[in-house]
Amino acid sequence: MTSDEEATLDRIAQLLEQLDREAYVADPAIATSLHLALELHKPLLIEGHAGVGKTEIAKVLARMLGTDLIRLQCYEGLDASTALYEWNYARQLLHIRLQERDGHAAADAEAKIFSEPFLLKRPLLQAIAHEGRPPVLLVDEIDRSDEEFEAFLLEVLSDFQVTVPELGTIRARERPHVILTSNRSRELSDALRRRCLYLWIDHPPFEKELSIVRRKVPGASEALAAQIVGLVQHLRMAKLAKIPGVSETLDWAAALVVLHAEHLTREIVGETLGCVLKDEADLRKVRAEMESGRLPVGAP
Amino acid sequence: MSGDLVHRTLTLCRELRGRGMTVTTSHAIDAIRALRAVGVASRQRVYLALRCVLVARPEELELFDEVFAGVFSPPAEDAAEGPVRVQRRSPPRDPTATVSLSSWGEQGDESDEGEEPEPVPAASDTPALAEKDFSAFGAGELAEIQRIAARIARRLAARPSRRWKAAARGTRIDLRRTMRRSLSNSAEPLDLRFRRRKPRKTRIVALCDVSGSMDLYSRFLLQFLYALQGTVARVESFVFSTSLRHVTGLLREPEYADALRSLAGEVHDWSGGTRIGESLASFNSGWGQLVDKRTVVVILSDGWDTGEPAVLGEAMETLRRRSRRLIWLNPLLGSPDYEPLTQGMQAALPHVSVFAPAHNLMSLRALERHLLA
Repeated sequence: MTSDEEATLDRIAQLLEQLDREAYVADPAIATSLHLALELHKPLLIEGHAGVGKTEIAKVLARMLGTDLIRLQCYEGLDASTALYEWNYARQLLHIRLQERDGHAAADAEAKIFSEPFLLKRPLLQAIAHEGRPPVLLVDEIDRSDEEFEAFLLEVLSDFQVTVPELGTIRARERPHVILTSNRSRELSDALRRRCLYLWIDHPPFEKELSIVRRKVPGASEALAAQIVGLVQHLRMAKLAKIPGVSETLDWAAALVVLHAEHLTREIVGETLGCVLKDEADLRKVRAEMESGRLPVGAP
Repeated sequence: MSGDLVHRTLTLCRELRGRGMTVTTSHAIDAIRALRAVGVASRQRVYLALRCVLVARPEELELFDEVFAGVFSPPAEDAAEGPVRVQRRSPPRDPTATVSLSSWGEQGDESDEGEEPEPVPAASDTPALAEKDFSAFGAGELAEIQRIAARIARRLAARPSRRWKAAARGTRIDLRRTMRRSLSNSAEPLDLRFRRRKPRKTRIVALCDVSGSMDLYSRFLLQFLYALQGTVARVESFVFSTSLRHVTGLLREPEYADALRSLAGEVHDWSGGTRIGESLASFNSGWGQLVDKRTVVVILSDGWDTGEPAVLGEAMETLRRRSRRLIWLNPLLGSPDYEPLTQGMQAALPHVSVFAPAHNLMSLRALERHLLA
């Protein structure tokens, strides 16, 4: 094995350990993807159901690299001025008033008020103009923005430079590490997918989810945790409108600990099922399954 | 890195491309770089690295696993402990289905032989054409369908959005432009600039039945989907018979004939039986995120379902609850003696907000008016 390869193994192992330590249970696929994103300097697109911990991954990466995390939360209607920069109008007006009081003409103020101190940097520009170590830029839930914004983002991601008409072009000294997440509420463009590395995170298998619950909700007994995870895993196979994620499992476990439940009974499940199922029709359906005895709940 | 590994990686890229995945030269280069970056010490690592670079959506994972297992088949002795889980489930191709469909694009001339030649439809088409059943349409007459579909799509699409655009009169002051303006005016913001909401693009999800009973209409209805997609950006198209298939990408071809050809190559249970309920249920569980309160869902089907009516009813209820509007277009509704009595149709109807015929141009125009209301 060459020394390069050893260094590689080290980094992937280190990533695994870090993921593990942050109580997010480690997975070689996640560690490998992060490693590749760093090595190939490409954005990483992470997709998966809601609540599988996509956002968490960016946070872990930033902590491991000892750098800042800059987060751009996407929503419908998000546009360039909210994501990139905006002028600080209040400050501009104030500045002009002061100038006037001192007897300067307003027109002279123009060059001044369109300069950097009057610029409000939004996440994308923050990431590009960042000093020091390249930051981790998290573009969260990109599927919630619209196609126009996606096209704009693609442009920014391809050369990491931004032109502010009044100021000129601002270029990133080093490329930020970019992580995009999507819940697939709409299909992303092929162009964006082509530019990114890809990681799909599925719901965790039983053992993995059990160990997440054990770690994040230490108050839950081994037996209770196993019953909870078993039931959630079962529910995921049913055809539900909103499939519960790991965060729902954790909420539920925490709620049951507060109620001092030792193990699951039909009553307790009936009372707390709302922690796991967030859709009225799903609740009705699962309650009916429980009543009829088709859904096995808890210890006999 | 060994030449063999490079060779295998390139073979993998080529085969994935052959199976319909988008794998460009730059992907191949990235694949090699990725192997260098992770080292080639273990098979699992090679697998994870290549998957990360070459796969772009979850639907491709299974195909990738299959092709990877073929190209990187481990030496016989350690085949058992290979960490890669592989499922081979690609459906068998039915060559006859493929042939019949791919000929549709050019069919017009030959298939219309016995009939009188119909005039190419103009802006004001003849009454005869307007009332002609789609099952008797030739390929040349599809142009008018396309025009109507485009109009319907635009109508469905226009609603105010959350995005702003500059406007002479609007609901909010545009600070940026007002500020700019005021500088030539001794910084007095006398001349207010405004902005207002841009029209929002509604999303349309169209699910088209291509089972045997729909044979006569599928060609037109696919044309309708094709035109919808060409007009508004946010259309997702699916076809179903016994199973569901996402075809938005396939319908994106600039020529309709090419789109049909690629559909024919990809959809395997074409003209088979129908399981509407299960197809819609699998849409809800696999693609449900595409539907929200701004989405119009259009189902194009005759309602002949061989599955459980209860499954269909439940899937329809979910769809209605999640969508803005649930529209069912049924070509059979055009024939005077048809009544929606099939069990499936009975289960579905309570959840439908618009139930309309779609068998000729006139019915499409009526639909257009209906959607405007």
